Amino acid sequence: MTTNNGDPLVIAEGLTRIYSMGATQVTGIKDIAFKINDGELVVLKGNSGSGKSTLLALLAGLDQPSRGRLMVADQDLQKASQADLILYRREVVGVIFQSFNLLPTLSVLENVCLPALLAGRKFSEVRAKAMDLIEWLNLKPRYNHRPAQLSGGEMQRTAIARSLINDPKIILADEPTGNLDSRNGQIVIELLSELNRNASRTVIFATHSTLADPYATSQICLKDGTITETCEV
Amino acid sequence: MILFLRLWIWFSFRQLYAHRWRALAVLLGIGLGAAVFTSVRLSIDASLHSFTQSMEAVAGKADLTVVQPGGRVPEKLITELLRIPSIKTASPILATYVHTKSDAEKPFLLIGLDPILDRSLRSWQVTESKTPVDTWIDLMAEPGTLFLSQKLIKRLDLTDSSSIVELEYFDRSSSFKILGGLSTQGLALADAGYVAITDISTMQEFTELGGVVDRIDLLLKANATAKDIEHIRAILPAGLILAQPSEAKESGRMMIEAYRLNLSVLSFVSLFVGMFLVYSLVSLNATSRRHELAILRSLGASSQVLFLLFIAEGAFFGIVGWLVAIPISSFMVQKLLTSVSATITHLFVRVNVDGLKLDPWEMLLSFAVTVFISVLAAYQPAREAVKVPPKEAFLMQEGSLTDKKPVSFLALVGFLLIAIVLPLPKMPGASNVPFIGYIATFFLFAGFSLLSPWFLSIMGTYLPNVLKHVGGQPAYLGSRYMRDAGSRIAISVGALITAMALFVALVIMVHSFRNTVETWVNQSISGDVFLQTEMANTNQYRDPLPKSLIEQLKSMRDRIELLPYRRIFLNKGDVRYLFEAIDFGTFSKHGKLLFLEGDSQEIMPRLVRGEGVIVSEVMANQLGLRIGENFQAKIGNTNLDLPILGIYRDYRTQGGVIHYSLKHYQQLSGDRTWTGTRVFLLNNNLSPLPLSSEEAHKDQIIAQLYRIARQNRGVDVTIGSDLRREILRIFDETFAITTVLLLIALFVAALGITTTLTVLVLERTHELNTLLAVGASFKQIRAMIVWEAILMVTAGEGLGAACGFILSNLLVYVINRQSFGWTFLYSVDWYSLLASLPLILTTALLAAIPASRMAFHQSPATLLRER
Repeated sequence: MTTNNGDPLVIAEGLTRIYSMGATQVTGIKDIAFKINDGELVVLKGNSGSGKSTLLALLAGLDQPSRGRLMVADQDLQKASQADLILYRREVVGVIFQSFNLLPTLSVLENVCLPALLAGRKFSEVRAKAMDLIEWLNLKPRYNHRPAQLSGGEMQRTAIARSLINDPKIILADEPTGNLDSRNGQIVIELLSELNRNASRTVIFATHSTLADPYATSQICLKDGTITETCEV
Repeated sequence: MILFLRLWIWFSFRQLYAHRWRALAVLLGIGLGAAVFTSVRLSIDASLHSFTQSMEAVAGKADLTVVQPGGRVPEKLITELLRIPSIKTASPILATYVHTKSDAEKPFLLIGLDPILDRSLRSWQVTESKTPVDTWIDLMAEPGTLFLSQKLIKRLDLTDSSSIVELEYFDRSSSFKILGGLSTQGLALADAGYVAITDISTMQEFTELGGVVDRIDLLLKANATAKDIEHIRAILPAGLILAQPSEAKESGRMMIEAYRLNLSVLSFVSLFVGMFLVYSLVSLNATSRRHELAILRSLGASSQVLFLLFIAEGAFFGIVGWLVAIPISSFMVQKLLTSVSATITHLFVRVNVDGLKLDPWEMLLSFAVTVFISVLAAYQPAREAVKVPPKEAFLMQEGSLTDKKPVSFLALVGFLLIAIVLPLPKMPGASNVPFIGYIATFFLFAGFSLLSPWFLSIMGTYLPNVLKHVGGQPAYLGSRYMRDAGSRIAISVGALITAMALFVALVIMVHSFRNTVETWVNQSISGDVFLQTEMANTNQYRDPLPKSLIEQLKSMRDRIELLPYRRIFLNKGDVRYLFEAIDFGTFSKHGKLLFLEGDSQEIMPRLVRGEGVIVSEVMANQLGLRIGENFQAKIGNTNLDLPILGIYRDYRTQGGVIHYSLKHYQQLSGDRTWTGTRVFLLNNNLSPLPLSSEEAHKDQIIAQLYRIARQNRGVDVTIGSDLRREILRIFDETFAITTVLLLIALFVAALGITTTLTVLVLERTHELNTLLAVGASFKQIRAMIVWEAILMVTAGEGLGAACGFILSNLLVYVINRQSFGWTFLYSVDWYSLLASLPLILTTALLAAIPASRMAFHQSPATLLRER
């Protein structure tokens, strides 16, 4: 599937992100170019410091490129205003973080509903859908528990449910199995794969493990901020 | 709105609840501050309301009033005035404070009036169902009758009618028949409702003031013009003036307002210190939850939402803090009401407050100020919170604790603010500009608070190696933390600086003031015995000492020396002052005046010769008088136009004073009466008795004076040492309120230290457990926390003391002068200051106990396993 006008869902051209750290300039990524079609499961591979998180942050609308072009779902993220990026984060992407990033004062249900509430939807409308997601992810007995009362796998599944509540076009996952044991990690990979296959969502997956390789439709290998032909992990 | 509220409850309120002890500490701080601010204002408002209501009740609808400064108005003038076409009515009033035989300590106001002439000016009704005309006829027809207010009836335990009450005034007493009770409205509201009304003829008979009245109140016709008023003025006999009825009210109201402003500012400091607590906690929340803020941003929260979350946190502290203040205020205001109204009566004008009136506007003001202060405190942390970039959600660890604020820039701004304030006490005219002293005070607090990050950073840079030798590694690590903790600690230190500065400044100010007042009392209020008419001050010094008493005193001249004086209250515009004619020759033998300007050696002889007058500092400041200028006044038929020879310190608080030679006043005016006299006891050699010897001889003379006074009823005898002690007691009582407010501010600051220390320890549990893992003992880590507390408090005390010294100069030379017209001799009570510093340090160290207990409330293994 492609976008409405037939273009790929994600187009990156000459994408560069440079950080200023005092007097020093650090290049996160440099001159990256790629395309991702709708419905793909793409694995971003690379060691620590390769630029995976930088690229994901750009794709998530959490940061903006220093140079180049980045089009996601027909939105030019390089030229987008802060207000545009807020809408983008609410409606286009769902992000799953390595450290789960659940709000500690909210229950499982509340964490899942949060993006929808921030998007202006009423709790009473969202609650039912959130409970469906929670049930699908086998979290129903824990729906009113706080993160401190959950295991790592449960927290990550909560994060997955949260990323889906606004029906985003793209799911971005940053090392989603990094803080999980192998069994839970496998569960998470299979869930994401299921989302991609059955719900036709585009999933972009940053990892330095090989767990996701059997499920990927394509790979992007990063090393020292640039794309390489082969992935050295 | 509902969405935001839901988000705030989920994100902010639950966090506050999870750490509810911190939140409660802040709420208590704000609550105390708000309670103090509210109760002080309510108490003074009650006094102001009572005073204003009383003055308005007595003044009625009069447009003008005819008075004779220092004397009374001839009654026959009424007929003449009533013939003037522009005058609708002219009503004579004769009023004085009287008391019953059984209750001499509680005088009340007895007003004599002509009910018919007065009917258009003042309203009063009786509780019995009678027509006004019948009431007037009853009062006029039967001499020796009166109507009492309901409060008086209750206090005197009388029935409404047919009771007889015996009243005493000066050396006279008379029985009055009570015709009935007054309804609580109009004139019955005078003097907080403790008032009686009688016919003017009865009053004249009782007071033996036939043919004269205190004043004649005029109600003009609607079409009266300025020309008509001039005509009235022209026909008045010499010595009588046409005055505004509101003069006395305005003068008294101004004095109470000045007192209210001072006390409000002082009480506001507690709230200001509470503001630091809110800033501290909201700031700590924003910094420690940085990662969560990034998560919210990554999920689609706008920066405005984040900003409002923290603003709402501030508003929460303000609103709930104000609610917490309500029960505290209810308790405080009961205690304050009595002491505040007593202070106002002692210092300024007589007020009689029976109860509190809850003014909704005052409650609204207190609510608005509390919430505003709290929201303002949350503003900067909220601004910082929105700067968190959403991409920090990808970071594994918490956001950096290092302070991004430019410490040197803050210090520069701080020095600048202090530099602006420094020259103020020496600047001429600074005290004439309203509020400049208060603004300078807050500049000073802000300036020194802004210095605290820099000062802590200096301590953290240079002290560690020194302290290592004193307290070992704990001291070293604790002092190093000072350098890195930055504004997280600086805020609480700022609160302590404010409270400490106020403490130091007030200790110095009160000590300076008391020292100066004590010197003034011992030098200027000299005298072994004081005699004057009963309730002389309350009755405006209208009644002189009886001639017979004076003759008896003069006959004792081989054993006593007399220092007579004549006192008259006068007005210059809205400024009420006391004219006192005194025998300077005798005075200079027994006492001294503390001159601010002018040489005493040169001035006193000139005063004795009647060459001029001297004015008190208060009067000079109120009226802008200077040495060399001429002072003009009309007293009765006497015109005074004399040069000002000197300005002296005087701490009589009911306005300014001007002194002139009694002999020369008597020659000019022909008025040979005495308001009172001081008496100096002589030994057999006609020189003043040493205080330590000849006690029996002294007691004998005093006993004789008492006998003479009893023979002339209505004369008060006061022993000089008792009077001087009483003046100082009133002084101490006045500052008791200040001391309480100060202690509350210090307590609130201590709460801030406790909260900050506890939070910072909790923030660093990972770091502290790491220290354990590398070999530190529990004792060493607790010692490190104690050292941090010591250093925080030392920084607060040090900067606070420096601020306090500068502030004390502001208080003495600008604010007091601006508010009350006086200054005093600056002196530092080193003993009290030095003795209190260890106490404050100990209190703050006690505040470190909860923090050091919290350090290991979880197993170190759990914390180190996973973040």
